[in-house]
Amino acid sequence: MFGRLFKPTTVAHAHCDIPCGIYDPTAAKVAADTVAKMVEKIGALQPGATDFTTRGNFVRMIAVKEEHAQICKKELEILWSDYFKPEHLEKFPKLHDTFWKAAKLCSKNKQNVDAAAAAELQAAVKEISDMFYATKK
Amino acid sequence: MAVAGHSMEPALREGDWLFVLPPRRQPRVGEVVVLRDPRDAKHLLLKRVAAVGDGEVTVMGDRRDHSTDSRYFGDVPLTDIVGRAAFRYAPLGRAGRVRS
Repeated sequence: MFGRLFKPTTVAHAHCDIPCGIYDPTAAKVAADTVAKMVEKIGALQPGATDFTTRGNFVRMIAVKEEHAQICKKELEILWSDYFKPEHLEKFPKLHDTFWKAAKLCSKNKQNVDAAAAAELQAAVKEISDMFYATKK
Repeated sequence: MAVAGHSMEPALREGDWLFVLPPRRQPRVGEVVVLRDPRDAKHLLLKRVAAVGDGEVTVMGDRRDHSTDSRYFGDVPLTDIVGRAAFRYAPLGRAGRVRS
């Protein structure tokens, strides 16, 4: 009776977004997309061009690709170690394997200029992203 | 108003029911206020006033390591304060005034 009569209709949040709120696979997705874009742009450079502008662009694109492959790995590791809980593992038995392979793909993309590996990374991030959003339903 | 989350423990716990007074005066340092989330006005937050400035307040959760507050979203305009947590009426065992 007490409960029904006096139950509040509004909620005030005394929440912490760190470590219990700011989890979002978007950062990993943007990083993976950046890697793929850089691979594409590097591939579009004129082969054998030695002018400083092309060389500068090449070095810059390689640097950005490697930086974002590293960012992607870090963002995935945050989701893996902090966001996903044992109960999620029951729902997604391949969770650890998916993260492990995605982290390895980050390294592969850091080391190589490989469009297929970049696409694999994007697909792995998408798979993780889908699991993440499935836990929010 | 019901409490969700843990950033105000041990003073206020998840599931506590609070009686909230409308802000008739400027909040004082130490008071627990309900405010509109500066990032999402539909969302209400519960935090303690750490400092009052010119038309703005700095708010902090009691559990500093488990709170998203002015350290993250900055000072909040006084107009975003919607009330002051005055009294806890449930659970009955812990009913009483919300201390500053």
